[in-house]
Amino acid sequence: MTQPEAAREPPRASILLDAIEAALAPSHAVGLPDNASAALFSLLERHPRVRLISVTREGEAFAVAAGLWAGGRAPLVVVQNTGLLESGDALRGTAVRMGVPLVFVVTYRGHARAAAHGPLPPTLPLTGEALVDPRVDSVALLTEPTLAAWGIPYVRYGSDADVDQIEAAARRARDEARPVALLLTRALA
Amino acid sequence: MSGWLTKHELLAPLARLRGDAVVVTSMGVVRPWARFSTNPLDFASADSAMGHTADFALGLALARPERRVICLNGDGSTLMTLGTLVTIAAADATNLVLFVLVNGTYELTGNQAIPGASRVDYAGLARAAGIARVHSFDEPLAYERALPELLAGEGPIAVVVRVQPGDEGPLSRGDPGESPYLRVSLAESARRLREALGGAR
Repeated sequence: MTQPEAAREPPRASILLDAIEAALAPSHAVGLPDNASAALFSLLERHPRVRLISVTREGEAFAVAAGLWAGGRAPLVVVQNTGLLESGDALRGTAVRMGVPLVFVVTYRGHARAAAHGPLPPTLPLTGEALVDPRVDSVALLTEPTLAAWGIPYVRYGSDADVDQIEAAARRARDEARPVALLLTRALA
Repeated sequence: MSGWLTKHELLAPLARLRGDAVVVTSMGVVRPWARFSTNPLDFASADSAMGHTADFALGLALARPERRVICLNGDGSTLMTLGTLVTIAAADATNLVLFVLVNGTYELTGNQAIPGASRVDYAGLARAAGIARVHSFDEPLAYERALPELLAGEGPIAVVVRVQPGDEGPLSRGDPGESPYLRVSLAESARRLREALGGAR
């Protein structure tokens, strides 16, 4: 029987980063931190092989990453799901339109609370009532439908046991020459 | 406005002096640049995302610190992502030369006025963002005289140039009648640039 996600240990940033290094060998990490990714940024700030590039708004991260890739480097992007929504045209017009094999980490604000409250889309209809319900963060309801609408493949990452998802995401990004999102459903420890 | 640079006055000396720099164009200078250059290190930020040319160029500059990257960005595009000026300064991309071409209009859609067209101080914005080397030009002679030094010095450098509004229409890709670097998809353009720069490093 599968253990409920909330009962499992939170994913560790060190395990995630080791797997990212093995699968992607990133030269640069571009993004903006939040509480869920803080532990990852802490590791990236002092990483000997990955240069951290901080941006002022998440949309910049995808354009910078596309430029890094065109210049022959291997970027990683880390943003929150709220910033992902803001990044729509930047993601579409740079990394997607340029065919960049990018894996980008998206912290999934509101996921745990929304999942505990009830079903998520597509089971839950995106009604006006659902989107104003104060018990659920609406960005959690909109994250996966938005990625699906934008044609972005994604995988979920909620514990250290999901580590194989990173290599799978990297392989898909390379094979299909497109960005693939890694949705971090829990804050990193 | 009569003394402001024409696109020819802006681009002809740049084409002579660019050397082996990557040149990223956007909006109203995409086609005019192609009249001066068919270098494989030219990249048109067209059929892309408006406002994200300078940050794309920043990524290129960070990827290839040994090579100069020249970005020809418009004032309307600059306004869309003002934070990128801060990102450029913070990333300390010493090989990036960012041109902000100020004509006060959205040229490709019919020269509608951009917000704050006659009031925004782009050089002041760049300085306030932390870019130490900022130069402004509003007539061709001073620009042409200064250009060799601008392209040789350590950056990031912001070059704010007053240019005359033109009459370029919307850009398209994949049309055989278009400028050579617009005849292929954005993905193919990016792949070719990556190849011209030597591929994965």
